[in-house]
Amino acid sequence: MTLAVARRAEATALFAAQGVPTRRVEDWKYSDLKSALGEAGIGAQVAQWHVTDLPAGVEQFDLSQANPPGWVIDNFARGTGNVMSAASLALSVGGVALRVPKGAAIADLLKLDFTGPGHVRALLVLEAGASLTLVEGVGLSEFRNVGFEIALGEGAALDHVRVSPADADAVLVEEAHVRLAAGAQYRAHFASFGSRLSRMELEIALEGAKAQAHLSGVSVLDGKRHSDVTTRMIHAVEDTLSTQLFKHVAGGNAKAVYQGKVTVAKGANGSDSNQSAKALLLGEAAEADLKPELEIFADDVKCAHGAAVGDLDADSLFYLRARGIPEAEARGLLLHAFLEDAVAQIANMDQRELVRTELLTALKVIA
Amino acid sequence: MLEIKNLHVSVGDKPILKGLTLSIQPGQVHAIMGPNGSGKSTLSYVLAGRAGYDITEGSITYNGEDLTALPPEERAAKGVFLAMQYPVEIPGVTTMTFLKTALNSQRRTRGESDLDAIGVLKLVRAKAKTLNVSEEMLKRALNVGFSGGEKKRLEILQMALFEPRLAILDETDSGLDIDALKLVAEGVNLLRSPERAMLVITHYQRLLDYIVPDRIHVLAKGRIVAEGGKELALELEAKGYEHILKDVA
Amino acid sequence: MSSVAQQETKKQVADIGEKYKYGFVTDIEMDMAPRGLSEDTVRFISAKKGEPEWMLEWRLGAFRRWLTMKEPKWARVHYPDIDYQNAYYYAAPKNTPLKQSLDEVDPKLLETYKKLGIPLHEQMALAGVAVDAVFDSVSVATTFKGKLNEAGVIFCPISEAIRDYPELVQKYLGSVVPVTDNFFATLNAAVFSDGTFVYVPKGVRCPMELSTYFRINASETGQFERTIIIADEGSYVSYLEGCTAPKRDENQLHAAVVELVALDNAEIKYSTVQNWYPGDENGLGGIFNFVTKRGDCRGVKSKISWTQVETGAALTWKYPSCILRGEGSVGEFYSIAIANNYQQADTGTKMIHLGANTKSRIISKGISAGKAQNTYRGLVSVYGKAKNARNYTQCDSLLIGGECGAHTVPYIESRNPTARIEHEATTSKIAEDQLFYCLARGIPQDEAVSLIVNGFCREVLQQLPMEFAVEAQKLVGISLEGSVG
Ligand SMILES: Nc1ncnc2c1ncn2[C@@H]1O[C@H](COP(=O)(O)OP(=O)(O)OP(=O)(O)O)[C@@H](O)[C@H]1O
Ligand SMILES: [Mg+2]
Repeated sequence: MTLAVARRAEATALFAAQGVPTRRVEDWKYSDLKSALGEAGIGAQVAQWHVTDLPAGVEQFDLSQANPPGWVIDNFARGTGNVMSAASLALSVGGVALRVPKGAAIADLLKLDFTGPGHVRALLVLEAGASLTLVEGVGLSEFRNVGFEIALGEGAALDHVRVSPADADAVLVEEAHVRLAAGAQYRAHFASFGSRLSRMELEIALEGAKAQAHLSGVSVLDGKRHSDVTTRMIHAVEDTLSTQLFKHVAGGNAKAVYQGKVTVAKGANGSDSNQSAKALLLGEAAEADLKPELEIFADDVKCAHGAAVGDLDADSLFYLRARGIPEAEARGLLLHAFLEDAVAQIANMDQRELVRTELLTALKVIA
Repeated sequence: MLEIKNLHVSVGDKPILKGLTLSIQPGQVHAIMGPNGSGKSTLSYVLAGRAGYDITEGSITYNGEDLTALPPEERAAKGVFLAMQYPVEIPGVTTMTFLKTALNSQRRTRGESDLDAIGVLKLVRAKAKTLNVSEEMLKRALNVGFSGGEKKRLEILQMALFEPRLAILDETDSGLDIDALKLVAEGVNLLRSPERAMLVITHYQRLLDYIVPDRIHVLAKGRIVAEGGKELALELEAKGYEHILKDVA
Repeated sequence: MSSVAQQETKKQVADIGEKYKYGFVTDIEMDMAPRGLSEDTVRFISAKKGEPEWMLEWRLGAFRRWLTMKEPKWARVHYPDIDYQNAYYYAAPKNTPLKQSLDEVDPKLLETYKKLGIPLHEQMALAGVAVDAVFDSVSVATTFKGKLNEAGVIFCPISEAIRDYPELVQKYLGSVVPVTDNFFATLNAAVFSDGTFVYVPKGVRCPMELSTYFRINASETGQFERTIIIADEGSYVSYLEGCTAPKRDENQLHAAVVELVALDNAEIKYSTVQNWYPGDENGLGGIFNFVTKRGDCRGVKSKISWTQVETGAALTWKYPSCILRGEGSVGEFYSIAIANNYQQADTGTKMIHLGANTKSRIISKGISAGKAQNTYRGLVSVYGKAKNARNYTQCDSLLIGGECGAHTVPYIESRNPTARIEHEATTSKIAEDQLFYCLARGIPQDEAVSLIVNGFCREVLQQLPMEFAVEAQKLVGISLEGSVG
C-alpha cells in the first residue's frame, strides 16, 4: 500500500540505525529486550488484530487495504523517535484504524484484541467531542510488538483499559503514542500480570490547553515474570494536567519496572503534574526499579512525584491482627488495599470489577 | 482474669516497663493513670501482642493461659480488645469491609460460623446508631481522614461489636467532646458485666466520673507507684503527679 | 526561619557589595609544567613532587588507561569540547611548597587567603579550625599541625603523605574510587598535584574541624586535587572544603577526587561550600567542575555524611556517594545546588546499600534562576543482602523565572523485600505571596529572595558547621542577586 511511504522509510532507517534495544540504552536499562528475544530476534511477522462487535457509530479501516480514507492518512504514523514503534511501522503492513466521529458518544465498549506473533499497528481517532471506552486485550504469543497511535480531538474523552495476562514465555511490547487537543481527556489503566518481558510504553502529548491525562496501573507478578511501564508525559502547552498512579506487587524472582518522565515545556505555565509509583516486594529475589523523572522548563508549575518500595506497613498489619484477622488474611487485605486506589481509577465499573477479580486470583498465588 | 507479674519490657535496647505487677478480676474495671511516657501505651501494646516489644522478664496470664505465647489475632478471638490511642489509618480498606472481616475472623477462630453480610450490616448499623457513627463513615476507608473524635468512636463501636472479655482502652477519652465522652462511657458501661473486665488508661479524672473504676493504678517510670480507689484520681487531679512521685521516692 | 536567623541573613546580604568577590587574581611568580598532557607531563608532576617510583607507576597506569576512555556524556550539561592538550596541568607559586612555618610563606599568599576570608595565621585563625590551603597545584600552608599531632591525627598535603606515610597512602589510594572509575577520576589519578590527606586513628575524636581551601589562581590551568580521609575504628572527623577562583573569560577545568573510608563505628562529616567562579551573566568563563567523591562505609555502624552547597562553577558534574558496606552503616547527603545565569549543574548522589540494616537519607534542594539548568540525579540501590535497608529521599526544586530548567532524575532499585525506600520530589516557583509579603514589609527584592531561598534550604544549611553556615547563607543570597525582576 502507499500509505505513509515516507514515514515508513524513516522508521525503517531509524530501526536499522538503532536495532533492538539492549540494556545499554538508557530507556531499556531495566528490561533486557535483546536477551529476552534471544536468537529469534524481532522477526518480521505481522501480528493479528480483532475487534469484537464493532459498536455502532465507530468506523473501522483495515490498514492492509488500499485507498485509506482521509482521516487515516491525516493521522497515521505521525510517530516519534521511539525505536520499537519505528520497528512496528517498518515491519508491519497490517493493522487497524478506528474512528469515532465528531460529537459521537459511544456507550458500548470497543473491544480490540491483539494476537499472534509479530508486529502490528493500530490507530484510534476520536474527533472533537467524541467519547469512547476502549478495552484492549492482549493475547499471548512468543513475541509481539504493537505500535498504537491515539489522537484525541478537542474535548474528546477516551477511557482505555488494558489487561496483560500472565505468561512465563511471552515477550510483549507495546508503544502507545497519544496526542491530546485542547480539553481532551485520556484516562488509561494498565493491569499487568507479567511475562518473560512485558513492556507498555506510553508517550502522551498534551498539546492543547486544559488537556488532561490520568494514568494508572497495577501489576502483580510471580515467578520470573517481568513487567515494565514506561511513560513519557509531555506538557507542551499551558494549563495541562496529568496524574499517574502505579502500584506493583512482585513475588518470587519477579521484576517490576516503572519509568516515568514528565516534561513541562518552556512556557507551559499552569501545568500540574503528579506522579506516584509504589512497589511491594514479597519474594526474596524480587526486584523493583522505579525511575520517576521530572524535566521542567517553566516556572509556574506544580509538579510532584513520589516513589516508594517496601513491605506491608507493620502498624496496619498489627491493627488488623489485633482485631482478630489472621495474618495471612490481613496481608491479603492490605495487598488489596495497596492496589485498590489504582484500580479505583478505572471509570467503567464492569472493567473495574474484572480487573479486581483478576488481581484477587493473582494475589492468591503470590501471597 | 488477667495476671501480670513483674513485667519487664524493652523496645530495642531501651527498657520501658520495669517490674509491673497487676491483677484484674472478672467484672472489675481498673484505671491506669500516669505521666506522659511512663509506659501506659507500651503495656497496652504488650497485652495486644504487638511486635517489637520484648518481654525480658515476668509473665502475663489471661484466664490461666500464657497470653504472650499467642499471636495478636488469637488474643482477639479469645476476647482481648485494645482500643488504641492512635488508631491506624488503612487506605483502600473500607470500614465496613474491615468490620465484617474482623468479626467473622474472630468467630471462625472460635469455631463459630460466619455471619452473612446482611447479618453483619444489621449488627453494625445498630451499634453505629447508638454511637453516632454515620453510614457515610462506614463506607470510607478505615480511619482515613477521620477526625480524632471519629476515630475514637469507631474504636468503641468495634468494642461494642466484638463484645470482648477484656477491653483495654488507651486514652479513648482524649480528643472527645463532652457528648462523645458520654456516649463512649455509656458504651463501656453497657458492656460492664460480671464476666468482663476492663482496663481504662486515661489522663483525666473526668472519664472516671462516668466509668467508675474499682481500682486506680498510677504508672510512672515503668512501674506501678501508687494504687487506690476512685478517690486517688481526685487527689491526682488536685495535686499532680509530682506530689505522688515524691511520696514514693 | 527564626527571626534571629532572618536578621542575620539580611545583615549578611547587606554586607556584601560585589557579585563575585573572589574574582581577583594574585600576581605571583609561578612554576608551571609545559602546556599539554602526555606521559612527560605526568613524569614532570611526579618529579616536582619528588615522588617514589610506585607513585609514578600508578600515575602512568592511570594515564594510559585514560587515553582509552571516553568523556561521559549522559549528564545534562552542554559544553564545548575540552581541549586537554591546551591547558597547564601544574602550576605552583615559586619557592613556596612545604614550609615549616607560616612565617616563611610568601606574604602575598597569606594576603590572598586573608582576602578570601581564610586567615592562615594561627593566632588569627578561627578557634578550632585547622586549615590546609591549596593554591593551584600545591598546598601552601597547613595550620594547627602540632595540636593535631598530639591527638595522633595526620592532616597534611597528600604530597607530604606520599613521602611520610607511604603504607597508609598505598593502602587507601584508589581503594574507594578505583583508577579506572570514570574518565575524570582517571585523569585525576594521572595528574593530581595536591590535596589533603587525613588519618584519624582508632578511637580519636578529631579535636577540631579540619578544612581545606582550594584556590585556582593561574590562568589556563586545571586543578586536580585528590583528598583522602580515613577514619579508623571509633573515630570522628568533620572536614570542610571551600573553593574559589578568579574571574576569567576562559573555562578552567577542575577534576577532583575525594575518597573517604570509615571503619567500624567511625564517622566522617564532609562539608563543601563550592564557589568556583561561575562565569559572567552571559555565560562567559567559569570553572568546569567534574568531581568524583565517594565514601566507603567499610565498617559496621560507620557513618558518612556529605553536605554540599554548590553555588559556583559554570558547570558542575558531581555525585558524592556512599557505599554502605558495613552492617548498620549510615550514609547521608544534604545538598543545595544553585544555578543562575548560564550555569549548569548536574549533581546528586548514589547510596549503595550492600550491608544489612544500612540507612541513608538524601535531602536535595535545587534552585534554578536566569537561564540555568539544574539537575538532581540520584541512585538508591538496595542489594539482595541489605536486609532492612532504609532510605528516605526528599528532592525539592525551586524555579525563579521562566527561562531556567529544574530536573529530577532519581533511580530507585530494590532487591530486598525487607528494605524500605521512600522518595518524594516537588517542583515549584518562588512563592509570589511570600515575596510580596517581604516587599510589603520593606525588604528589598534581592534580600527577600535570599531570605526565602535560605528558608527553602534550611534543612541543608543546618547540617553545616557554624563557620560555614554563615558563609553559605551569604552565598545563597549573592548567587541569586538580580534573578527576580
Ligand atoms: N518504638 C519505640 N521506640 C523507642 N522508644 C519507644 C517506642 N515506643 C515507646 N517508646 C518510649 O517508651 C516510653 C513509654 O511510651 P508509652 O507510649 O508507653 O507512654 P505513655 O505512658 O503511653 O505516654 P502518653 O501518656 O504520652 O500516651 C516513652 O519514653 C517512649 O518514647
Ligand atoms: Mg500512650
